[in-house]
Amino acid sequence: MTKNLLVRHETILAALLALALVVLTTQSSHFFTVENLLNQCRLMAEMGIVGLGMTFIIVTGGIDLSVGSILGLVAILLGVFWKNVGLPLPVAIVLAIASGSLAGLFNGFIITRFNVPPLIATLATLALYRGLAEGISESHSVRGYPDWFYVLGQGDVWGIPTQLWVFLALAIVAIFILGVTPFGRGIYAIGSNAVAARFSGISVKRSLLSIYAASGFLASIAGVIFVSRVSTTRSDMGTGLELDVITAVVLGGTSIFGGRGTIVGTLLGLILMQALKSGLLLAGVKGDGTIMAIGLMLIGSVIVSNLFRMNTDG
Amino acid sequence: MLKKALLASATLLLAVGVAHSATWTGGDDQPTNPLACDATPPTVAAKPYDGGVPTNPPDRKGKPIKVVDVPKLIGIGYFDATSKGIAEAAKELGNVDAKTDGPTKANIDEQVTFIDNYITSGVDGILFAANDPVAISPVLKKALSKGINVVGYDANSQPDARQWFINQSPFNGIAKSLIDNMAKEAGEDAGVAIVTSTFTTPNQARWIAEMSTYAAKCHPKLQFLETVEAQEDNNLSFSQATTLINKYGDKVKGIFGMTSVATPASAEAVTQAGKCGKIAVIGLATPNAMKPYVAKDCVKSVVLWNPIDLGYAAMEVLRATADGTLKPGSTSVKAGRLGELAVINGSEILLGAPFVFTKDNIDKFNF
Repeated sequence: MTKNLLVRHETILAALLALALVVLTTQSSHFFTVENLLNQCRLMAEMGIVGLGMTFIIVTGGIDLSVGSILGLVAILLGVFWKNVGLPLPVAIVLAIASGSLAGLFNGFIITRFNVPPLIATLATLALYRGLAEGISESHSVRGYPDWFYVLGQGDVWGIPTQLWVFLALAIVAIFILGVTPFGRGIYAIGSNAVAARFSGISVKRSLLSIYAASGFLASIAGVIFVSRVSTTRSDMGTGLELDVITAVVLGGTSIFGGRGTIVGTLLGLILMQALKSGLLLAGVKGDGTIMAIGLMLIGSVIVSNLFRMNTDG
Repeated sequence: MLKKALLASATLLLAVGVAHSATWTGGDDQPTNPLACDATPPTVAAKPYDGGVPTNPPDRKGKPIKVVDVPKLIGIGYFDATSKGIAEAAKELGNVDAKTDGPTKANIDEQVTFIDNYITSGVDGILFAANDPVAISPVLKKALSKGINVVGYDANSQPDARQWFINQSPFNGIAKSLIDNMAKEAGEDAGVAIVTSTFTTPNQARWIAEMSTYAAKCHPKLQFLETVEAQEDNNLSFSQATTLINKYGDKVKGIFGMTSVATPASAEAVTQAGKCGKIAVIGLATPNAMKPYVAKDCVKSVVLWNPIDLGYAAMEVLRATADGTLKPGSTSVKAGRLGELAVINGSEILLGAPFVFTKDNIDKFNF
């Protein structure tokens, strides 16, 4: 039992993370300071929030490539609802998040009702939502938000960045749902064997619909935080986000085929990626070197974890 | 019930979007200032200093400083040239350690993250060319609040987010040069199309806005058919230009390339469509990229300034700011081998007039 705990992917990852932190700290005195760590958490929050939803989806064996486009679409809609339609900002925020959740729900709808593979469905909506964002924005970026809005993305509450509080709250909810509730156990069942899950009475279609809608909802929240952080909205925001998020989730031990994975693993994967990006830059490695390091780390961790699994499987 | 809700919301979203779309020229919505139609030189009005101020900067006079240059993206000839100019100035000054690092796509999210991380690493100065003037300002203001000197070149941020901005050429001067040359080559009543970078890139948007008002004033019969965005990507610029040629057929007589990537790509598109000589291609580009097209007479004039000088001037200005020799209220600054550069518009430093490369002089340059 203890041996199982020790050779879990998450434990190996935690050890790797500790090792990376130690090495990076020796390379630059600026790395392991409270200021830098809090700043990295601020930068990581958006990816983290989207990663929570992505973990659920990948555990079921699916994937959601449209999260970056949903983020961009929500960012644009926020600007449109506030500036062009003239709604008060809190109402605009709620409407924008609702639209993003609807976009996620639409993903789930295509996947469950028409049995389109998630890869194809979300690849299509990646283009659809990005196109909608660019068409609706028609070149105008919206700026000039009121000061209270910037507290979300640029401010602190009790010394901790605001978006980190949001992320932590959502992460705790996600850990609870996936790890403890029957719904969560149903997600693992769907990932291991969807047909068996259906015959055991789990409502597969309803579960999938909810997690894709949740993914859209979380991407929308990340979008609002993003707009608040850079104080403007642009239609190309969030491009490439999905690849970073999927890397973090898979790095965290979630199997791309479904059935395995935890939120804690995703969190560890995220922290490791962000630590590498920050630490390597501080150590003087340029942008391209950092991307290579993350790629190697991903391959390495998957190989090591597979080796351990091969040895313990009966 | 679910289906109806989805259908209703989808239609609502689309309706909102369509209701708020408008024909887009690619220009920004700031006031423009078109030059005279003839060769009268522009009058420059004096303005009080409107740049940002660093909080409690340490005394850097004469001391070695660490500077990072974060352009819009790395890996294209234009920013390789500015980087070369920065390195040249750093070597000449002797007490500057300069490095260029940036995103591999013209993406504001990544550029902001790069600058943020370099602030943490404790640089003394930041040089930048912004992908978005508003989105980059919060992180630059953070740099100023940490006492870091911030100077921009090529593409501006909001004025109070940086101390100085090296303006390569007045926006209305570039607009005048481009439109005058296009009208000369394609004719006064030609249909023209524009291939630009992204929707909000500050310099491109400014140029296009100035071009529209200048054309309306001095070449009113010029028709602007369409503006497409190509994000400083070679393949995208080529395919966008080809699409324009196919879409408008004989109606398009000229294409403006607004980035140093779009112009050679548009020239290539025109060459491959067999329309050399029938469609004029005018734009901003580095001479090396355009030499083959100018040699074939496909492109008659290329407008630019010297990006190596631009990078050089930016580095010299940053050193002068760090040393305290260039202060708010100064009217000019000595920039090494470029001599005295004038301060215009409050906190901008003018590099010079735009330069037109033609068949006669393009072979003298190598960048």
